Amino acid sequence: MGNSFIFKTELWISKYTGIKVYTIRDFIEALKVIDKLSLFYHVYINMFKYHDLPVHYSNSFAYWLYKNNYILLAEKISAIDPVDYYDLEDLRRDLVHILETNYDEKIKRELTPFYFRKAERQILELGYQAKDLKEFIEGFKNSSINSLFYHLITSKLEKKSLINDYSEWLISIGEAKKAEFINKLDIYSDNLYDIKKKILNILEDKK
Amino acid sequence: MIEKYIPYIGEEFIDELFLISRKLKGIKVLHVNSTKEGGGVAEILNRLVPLMNELGIETDWQIIKGDRTFFNFTKKLHNLLHMPGKEEINSDEIVYYLKITYENMNQIDTENYDVIFIHDPQPMGLVIKKQPGQKWIWRCHIDTSTPDPKAWHFLENFLNAYDACIFHMPEFAYEGITIPTYIIAPSIDPLHPKHIELSQEEIINTLTRFGINPEKPIILQVSRFDRLKDPFGVLKAYKLVKKKYDCQVVLVGAFAPDDPEGEQVYKELLNFATGDKDIFILNLPPNSHKEINAFQRGATVVVQKSLKEGFGLVVSEAMWKAKPVIGSNVGGIKRQIVHGITGYLVNSIEGTAVRIRYLLANPEIRKTMGFHAKERVRHRFLIIRHLRDYLLLINRLLKNND
Repeated sequence: MGNSFIFKTELWISKYTGIKVYTIRDFIEALKVIDKLSLFYHVYINMFKYHDLPVHYSNSFAYWLYKNNYILLAEKISAIDPVDYYDLEDLRRDLVHILETNYDEKIKRELTPFYFRKAERQILELGYQAKDLKEFIEGFKNSSINSLFYHLITSKLEKKSLINDYSEWLISIGEAKKAEFINKLDIYSDNLYDIKKKILNILEDKK
Repeated sequence: MIEKYIPYIGEEFIDELFLISRKLKGIKVLHVNSTKEGGGVAEILNRLVPLMNELGIETDWQIIKGDRTFFNFTKKLHNLLHMPGKEEINSDEIVYYLKITYENMNQIDTENYDVIFIHDPQPMGLVIKKQPGQKWIWRCHIDTSTPDPKAWHFLENFLNAYDACIFHMPEFAYEGITIPTYIIAPSIDPLHPKHIELSQEEIINTLTRFGINPEKPIILQVSRFDRLKDPFGVLKAYKLVKKKYDCQVVLVGAFAPDDPEGEQVYKELLNFATGDKDIFILNLPPNSHKEINAFQRGATVVVQKSLKEGFGLVVSEAMWKAKPVIGSNVGGIKRQIVHGITGYLVNSIEGTAVRIRYLLANPEIRKTMGFHAKERVRHRFLIIRHLRDYLLLINRLLKNND
């Protein structure tokens, strides 16, 4: 069973960190030190929360900047595609760098507060696994979008890998082409229901 | 019963609920609040408790008892936690609260449970009975961001004995809280009579029963008759819209017999409406769920123009019926409406009017926004998500204990 694919899902609850900031400077300083799971919540979980809506900014940092009329910063922060990252410290570094290099310190005004939350994650095995492509397709069909979110996006952070779970396993059973198609999907710009359909088409050679 | 939710959220989400529940096999959970009927807390527990049992988690629900003096005090406490006022709590009231709490400690068995959810301030003192190994959670349904300091300090004596507390949104949590604080939004139940699907015929019959023309655009606000809900602002916005559109406005609400302010607001609204047959001010009995459902489904545009708001779950109620909602940029309203996507956030009467006009002029936009509004509620504000959050929290607290 060494090469079986174990289907999992990811659920979470939101915990308030008690950190609340009113200025961009305090926001940057907080970003430097907050728990990684706080970055995870505001960038990844919010991407999930809003994936099914045609929102202008899919992470809460960018949305807060936009609401407070920091349009350039909002745009630059929202251009960060979290799917490209496998280490939250790299993400933290890039966020801070973008803010530090584009923020005009001379502009000082109090903003609506930003409340830092963090995610408390729970990864669960769905109770089924696949040994071959046929079983994989069946398992995939039964997976929720929470499960897709885990295997396509957040498990990469756990493994510190640029390749998603599905593609990694497909390569191991000799389905490199399918793996490549899936790994190239633009998850950040799409919603997970459509991504699920697209992956199913790839798996069933309907692409 | 749980399978009845499958059409709304999909089977795979229900499967995930069972997965978490399996981790909680054998534990016993108790919910305690102050009323079995009336109000959002009782409404949600009525459904949540059976669902938890169906998932295999033995769950009970008990009510604290108190007399008028006790509940007058807890009502005052509630108001003071919401915002400082002229009144303040005094030592006689504190002594009386403790007396009633001790009486309830003898009546309510908390010892045989692993996890105890205490809802709102009334039963909060029961935590004195906490046993080693138990997890006590305070579920706060009110905005305590700027409380009266004395009221907060009274509460804090109990709060610090809890293992965790829950607020609807981080804005509602007082800054000085030192115990773990979780954010769990409230929810609506798609199987509640207020939210079940209605036939077009039922909707039309209800509207016509109240003299409303189903063929003419309807602007609706559902809220109790309270100045903080700004019903006069809604009527003023309607007057602005009326210059261009032949439409109706419906304000649906209620006031309790012991709410003289509500009655006064209602009378003033009737006065305001005199001479305009397209203004409907409807004071309905508290359990008019099907009527509210029909009004929300029959509305063209729904408004929630509150000046101050708690979570304002009525916004999600309308969104669930695929209605774009124009709401004030306050409280929980701004957490529900995604501006420009599921409706509009507004800051003035003129702004409200201009958004209403835009939506009346654009049926396709209404349809698209309504679709997104419903999707947002499906993912974020339904009872199954609420239940899942509770289960995850229980699991987290018990696991940390291990």
